[in-house]
Amino acid sequence: MGPMLRIPGGSFAIGTPPWMLDWLERSDQPLPRIWFQDETPQVNRTVATFHLDRDPVTVREFRAFVDDCGYRTDAERRGFSMVYGVDGWGDWDGAHWRSPGGPGTNLDGLDEHPVVHISYGDATAYAKWAGNRLPTEEEWEYAARGPQFRIWPWGDDWGGHEANTAEHHAGTLTTLDAWRKWWIAMVEQQGAMPLTTAVGSFAGPGDSPFGCRDMAGNVYEWTSTRSYLYHPATECDPTVRAATGRYRVIRGGSWMNFRYQVRCAERIHGDPHGWSSFAHGFRCARDD
Amino acid sequence: MVRIVLPSVWTEGHRTEFSGTEGSLNAVLKRFADDHPGYRRRLLGPDSEPLGYLNVVVDDDLIPRQLRAETVVAAGSTITIVAPMAGG
Repeated sequence: MGPMLRIPGGSFAIGTPPWMLDWLERSDQPLPRIWFQDETPQVNRTVATFHLDRDPVTVREFRAFVDDCGYRTDAERRGFSMVYGVDGWGDWDGAHWRSPGGPGTNLDGLDEHPVVHISYGDATAYAKWAGNRLPTEEEWEYAARGPQFRIWPWGDDWGGHEANTAEHHAGTLTTLDAWRKWWIAMVEQQGAMPLTTAVGSFAGPGDSPFGCRDMAGNVYEWTSTRSYLYHPATECDPTVRAATGRYRVIRGGSWMNFRYQVRCAERIHGDPHGWSSFAHGFRCARDD
Repeated sequence: MVRIVLPSVWTEGHRTEFSGTEGSLNAVLKRFADDHPGYRRRLLGPDSEPLGYLNVVVDDDLIPRQLRAETVVAAGSTITIVAPMAGG
């Protein structure tokens, strides 16, 4: 297993301040303001000292787990997982961690890449095997940006060379249509292989204040936190509200995303009942 | 009439609430897809059946996949489509 970093406990205001939503609305990005409002209001949280994987769990590490105990992922048991193809998201037969781009694909050269097609249950099973647990949402955000608010783990400026996002591969993207055209061209050229990068590929410029790597982009990361709103009166997308109490919080964004979706406070919510995709992975935490 | 609510990321800033006709849940969703073909690929699979990986909440109840065909949506109800990855 890779190194864990000790994160000294502290207090911070989780979530996004109002000016950030104004900034998102002014920015050249296609998603509506309401889409981000589940990040508000900021609320004070205190986390105890804990340890967090420096990097997302890799293919090599996950293989050691599988080899040790014969674990079969939800995607392997069900026979499918989610892949974004030329027709959008689909449940692709034969897609799982060993065949990340679907049937006929493999893990050649990907040992140090984050493992993908990982469900909440898969992530929890690995963490237990490793003597660890998944981080809470609070721990994850604190480790990503420290006690002071910052947009991305390294600060408030986007240089384009700090994280594995869609923009790392395609250049600046400002519309969903441009994203789709780029991705469909990629699929037609090389299949639907996820564009993960080896963990630590952005070490240094992309590090969090505590030295954690790949906390913006590369793979979406499961947390143990059951989805909830920071304040029950928060106006947010009604489908997000419907996910509260049912889904688990996912953090960090992935290689599929725009820069705005890999912010430290960005939160999405994932179905924890066996669902996975070719952009979903995880990292582990443990108590001090 | 029933109210149908879609994720705002599907609609890219446009309206997310629509009206439909009461009936069995699957039938309501299929009719909606027929009436709004722009959302068809997001709701229905190649077999023209509602996609299994979407979650569907009727009023406050998450409807299990195996019960969708027999679930009847009454007039005045709200159907909320929850993608497996919600928010963004």
